[in-house]
Amino acid sequence: MELSESVQIGLRSFADPSCLDHTVFPALVDASFRSLLSAHGDPGVLDQPELQHIDRVLLKQSHAAAATFILEATKHNADRSTISSCLEELNFSAERIEIFYNTYQTHKKELARLLASIGKRAPHVNDVSWRLQYHIKNGQVDKVNEPSYLISLNTENEGSSEDVNFTCTMEQLQDLVGKLKDAAKSVEKASQM
Amino acid sequence: MEEVDKILIHALKQVGTEVSEEIDSVRQFSSELIVQAVVRCIQVIDPGLGSSLPTSLPPGMSARFRVGMSLAQACQEIGYKGEIGYQTFLYSNEPEIRSLLMCLVEKLPREGAETSDQPTGKSVVLQRGIAAAIKAQLAVPWLPTHCRLPLNIETQSPEALHSFHAQPLRLSPFTKGPEKKQLKVKKNYQRDILPPVTAQLSFHTSLMASLLEKHTDELSAAQEWDNEWNSQGLLSRLTPKEYRSRKLTRLRKRVKEQLRAAEVPASESAFGGSRSNTDLFELLQTFKGSALSDLILTKGTHFTHTKKFTFEQESASVTNPIPSGHQSESDIQDRQQMELAALQHQFQQLCSDGDQLTADMKHISVTNTQMLNELKQSELGISEKENKMQVKKKTIGLLPDADDNLLKLQVLVEASTKRLVNLASQWEKHRAPHMDEYRTLKEICSNHDLESSRMMSEIRSLHDKIRISTEEARKKEEMYKQLVTELENLPQDVSRSAYTQRILEIVSNIKKQKEEITKILSDTKELQKEINNLTGKLDRTFAVTDELVFKDAKKDESVRKSYKYLAALHESCNQLIQTIEETGTILREIRDLEEQIETENGNKTVSNLERILDDYKCIRHENSALAAKVREG
Repeated sequence: MELSESVQIGLRSFADPSCLDHTVFPALVDASFRSLLSAHGDPGVLDQPELQHIDRVLLKQSHAAAATFILEATKHNADRSTISSCLEELNFSAERIEIFYNTYQTHKKELARLLASIGKRAPHVNDVSWRLQYHIKNGQVDKVNEPSYLISLNTENEGSSEDVNFTCTMEQLQDLVGKLKDAAKSVEKASQM
Repeated sequence: MEEVDKILIHALKQVGTEVSEEIDSVRQFSSELIVQAVVRCIQVIDPGLGSSLPTSLPPGMSARFRVGMSLAQACQEIGYKGEIGYQTFLYSNEPEIRSLLMCLVEKLPREGAETSDQPTGKSVVLQRGIAAAIKAQLAVPWLPTHCRLPLNIETQSPEALHSFHAQPLRLSPFTKGPEKKQLKVKKNYQRDILPPVTAQLSFHTSLMASLLEKHTDELSAAQEWDNEWNSQGLLSRLTPKEYRSRKLTRLRKRVKEQLRAAEVPASESAFGGSRSNTDLFELLQTFKGSALSDLILTKGTHFTHTKKFTFEQESASVTNPIPSGHQSESDIQDRQQMELAALQHQFQQLCSDGDQLTADMKHISVTNTQMLNELKQSELGISEKENKMQVKKKTIGLLPDADDNLLKLQVLVEASTKRLVNLASQWEKHRAPHMDEYRTLKEICSNHDLESSRMMSEIRSLHDKIRISTEEARKKEEMYKQLVTELENLPQDVSRSAYTQRILEIVSNIKKQKEEITKILSDTKELQKEINNLTGKLDRTFAVTDELVFKDAKKDESVRKSYKYLAALHESCNQLIQTIEETGTILREIRDLEEQIETENGNKTVSNLERILDDYKCIRHENSALAAKVREG
């Protein structure tokens, strides 16, 4: 896990007991996590009574660095040893690492969920209903005799369900089924690394 | 053999054979168990080969025979060199089965050993993690929306997704070293007004993206700078600050040049009307074409920034006049719209007027400068002509007294030449020491240069070394971490240490036995030597006595008798020795035979023969049944 210079400086001041004493540290750690997790950015996140007597500029810098570090750690799915080695390099004391790691552990899942919500996803197919039609003849041709399938896929995306309807010939349906089987097989193969 | 059997059974259990707890040696293996063990081993060694083999013996005798044949063939294909056939599986004997199982167990792929041999990279660990996650998700059954537990909400009903949308964040810069001078207003802004980073964006969803993006941006910028500094900056022998400022001035110069070059054609067309944005774009295009790749970025962004800025200003000025009244009446709105349109129209007209005026002004100023230039030139010509006229006037004044004036002139010329020579000698005098000094200084300078270049190369090599060693250290650390995790993941096999202990014990036992064997060997050697000695002594004494007695035997009758006895004694002694030796060989043969009998007993020949007979009867029975069926059919 690499950290940029500004984050390193911010974390160093975070670790420095002369800048932030031991009553302030847990409050600031908590504030950093809370500010990342709260749904709307709260400008008063650093206005707690414990943080009143700290220099605001320093506080903002440390807070930004801590937020960045938390996000990077979550992105890398960092375990205890990684985090502690990272923070040890930045002069964190063992006690502070412990505090930080415990808070991180409690919020890790939620942070990972938030990070996972960045991206795109195709709708999930929940159900399928189908109907077989047999095309006997039309205006031009007397004997067509071709089956066609009416497929309706029940999909679910972000909680709302939606139907996808289409018709296909037998070959197309076979192709679709083959593709689906291939996909299932690929997933299974990927799980057996 | 017990140890071997235990190891074999342990390995077979790991492969997936169901060996019950009571069985602790190969002797107790039944035919079914043997077949199962062998098939499992083959399936692990070669899945393609093993997939067609059944794991249990079928009830029918002929089918059993066929299974035995195919198994034997599979074993031979895998590389078992010993004798093998259906009888090995159906009518097993202990040593054969043991050697077969040992061969198969040795051929089993050792995953654990392989992974620890080749340290897997970070990506492999990551891929494994991904595979495990996919496996876990596959194992969770799908549930309809209403039945979902909080457990599977994470994977099955995800909430709304957001695209990765990064926005710039403002951070108060870090002041390095002693307090730099900062505007008080700026400081106040940073302290009191600038919100914390997490509250800067109106959309919280893009906060994470923005933070990550900012961090990555900083990292990559630092990396790029590092690369550039190492490749070019170090060579320029400047401090980083100087290097940066120099690069900045170079860039600015380049920008200026390019702008100037592009302005010449642009200014010609500028008289017709105002310069539009497309001109600017063309300008930029010419720029990009000629500029170096690393310069494009900075310039491009600079331009786009300024462009954006002006656009934004315009749009702001357009949108500002809209009154923010809360009345919702339509006529007011209409009126406002009308007013707005009129204002906009007026504004546009004014703009175009302004543009026209500026163009005219430019035109006029250009003509003005041209006129000024012409004026200056003509003034210059006038002054030149005046000078010429004055010289001519003087010469005309001197003409009447020509000879006198010539002499005066010559005197003047001579004096000036003398002065010149004088000055030259003086100059020489001054010049020599300065030149010397200059040369020495130059030499010193070149020396310095050499030294500094040497130092530079040293520094570069040091840099390289540092980078290499840090990389190595990081790699090793990673490997260590990985190995530690692997060690933790490994099944804590207690039997492992027990095995090694036993192996050590066995080795020490073997050592002891070897010592004993060597002792016995040396003993036998000594004995042999003694025997040889004794036989030699015997032969010699016999020869000597024989000779002595033979000599005397011609003279004396009694001596002759004793000679005969001697010969008889010698012969019977020889016979005795021979018989002893023969008994020895016979004893050895007996022992060999006993061993053979034992092994034959181990082969369970009698019971196997009985079983073969039974099976034969079975097959005959089956055959007759089949024949009867055929006949019926």
